[in-house]
Amino acid sequence: MSFLRDLVVDREVAAAIDSIPNNINSLGYDPWGLNPEAAKTYFSLAKLIYSYFRPNVVGIENLPAGRVLIVPNHSGQLPFDALTVATACLLKAQPPRLVRSMAERWFPTLPWVNIAFSRSGVVVGDPINCRNLLDDDNAILVFPEGARGSGKVFQERYKLRDFGRGFMRLALQTGTPVVPVGVVGGEESIISVYDWKAGAKMLGMPYMPISPLLPVLGPLAYLPMPVRFHITFGEPLHFTGPFDDEDSEIDKKVRVVMEAVDSLIAKGRSGRKGLFT
Amino acid sequence: MAKNVLITGISGSLSQRVAERMLAQGHHVVGVDYRPPPQGLHPNIKFYLANYNKTKIEDVFKKHRFDSVLHLGRVGNLKESLGKRFDLNVVGSQKIMNLCVANNVKRVVVLSTFHIYGAHPANHIPIFEDEPLRAGGDFPQIADAIQLDNMASQWVYQHRKTKTVVLRPTNVIGPTIHNAMSSLLRRPRIPYLAGFNPMTQFIHEDDLAAAVLAAEAGDGVGVYNVAGSGVMPWMTALKLARAKTFPLPYTAVIAYLKMFSAFPLYLVNFFRYPCVISDRHFRETFGWEPKVSLEDSVWTTVADARQMQGQKPQYAL
Repeated sequence: MSFLRDLVVDREVAAAIDSIPNNINSLGYDPWGLNPEAAKTYFSLAKLIYSYFRPNVVGIENLPAGRVLIVPNHSGQLPFDALTVATACLLKAQPPRLVRSMAERWFPTLPWVNIAFSRSGVVVGDPINCRNLLDDDNAILVFPEGARGSGKVFQERYKLRDFGRGFMRLALQTGTPVVPVGVVGGEESIISVYDWKAGAKMLGMPYMPISPLLPVLGPLAYLPMPVRFHITFGEPLHFTGPFDDEDSEIDKKVRVVMEAVDSLIAKGRSGRKGLFT
Repeated sequence: MAKNVLITGISGSLSQRVAERMLAQGHHVVGVDYRPPPQGLHPNIKFYLANYNKTKIEDVFKKHRFDSVLHLGRVGNLKESLGKRFDLNVVGSQKIMNLCVANNVKRVVVLSTFHIYGAHPANHIPIFEDEPLRAGGDFPQIADAIQLDNMASQWVYQHRKTKTVVLRPTNVIGPTIHNAMSSLLRRPRIPYLAGFNPMTQFIHEDDLAAAVLAAEAGDGVGVYNVAGSGVMPWMTALKLARAKTFPLPYTAVIAYLKMFSAFPLYLVNFFRYPCVISDRHFRETFGWEPKVSLEDSVWTTVADARQMQGQKPQYAL
């Protein structure tokens, strides 16, 4: 097994993970199940997928040291946007960051996926998890659009769904800067023209995308196309005020982040010459 | 000053470990259990056979003036029917508490369990004492344990003269413990749920016995998690236990457990989803900390069984 792992583990990934301070016990785990050695394997596989999308990463120097909430738009049916942003933070940020992604509450129910996610630092998107990790000065990757964002149909592409307020309350409570991110490319890599809600309900999924290529390609229609990703990190936004303020007050601050993400998406879209370049 | 101490569940190993420590500190120990006394019970323990919900227990309180009562005798064993468990755990505990109040007992320690939090996909990490108890939703069989805990938690504030501490320990294991988890770890072949490997905690009997003594000796009141030395994935625990493992789908695991062990079904979710508790409050209030490492906790639990199964002890302490 160990020689197989040596074969898979990418040196750049291993060096980056080794350089990051962590909070693991004598058996190699943190309370959420992060295991840096296993994370090396999973991030090496992630790097292959990352290379497939050839992301153009702009502005990652905006990522501050210490605690930070990284807030991108969500798209693309499968969480390849999370994977590319997390891999970019590991390989391109100075110093490298092992982001802790906030995932849907049903991920622990998915066999094997739950193990891969936990070992690489993904946690259930819960305010207490988030606060504990911010208190330890982690970088948190959170998609406030949630599944409503990633399940968007093609006609609605790059139109932000309303952000949740949880991330803003946590930013205020823990004094954490918010780095807005625009991810462009996800919407075109797996195309959904219809969200089949009855099917989703039947299978216990948050949405069920129907690809226009389904009649031609069958299940292969859900393989992502090698669209080039453009990931633009904005400058950190600092917010002050009571974290337990009324929703309407929190919404005003959330609106600022949404506008920042919107303009970063626009920047990314105007910068690209074609889908694959 | 020597105290008179009543310990319930004295036929169980944990109560005996606690009793031995109390005796070593010069206290007088009375033990009570609904089961017959075990062989090798410490001769200085005065033993009474009594159901906690019957009148005989009242005589025990009349004969001895107890300073402290350590109610460690929660029946977790599902071989007993739900009705009997309800009688012992809920009705019996209520009776014991009323007797404590009536007889001016100064200190009560109640042993609950972290199982009442439930292993749930939405669990955040770690879980503190003030959080919802989710286990009942999935597994009504655990109702008696939840009610015992709720009742004991109310006593903390209802009866201020009888200072009460409720402990919610994680999985208790150790060489003399014979609960469901320890017995499962001693099996030569242990199934696991294919595709799942949740974070798990264990506390060694010695550490928990020390925690009970710390709770008895301290003067804090309230409900406290007790978590032990750390967190590891379930498969790592099986590796430390040097067990042969094999994957099974969820339904097959349930069938296997029903056939080959008295393992309670409500524990099966703990092999799927994490339930990681924090004992920070207990450590801060009572100055306790665990001494036995995760590795030693697991290995000492299974060492004798492995030797009988013909395995060479490759992991030396």
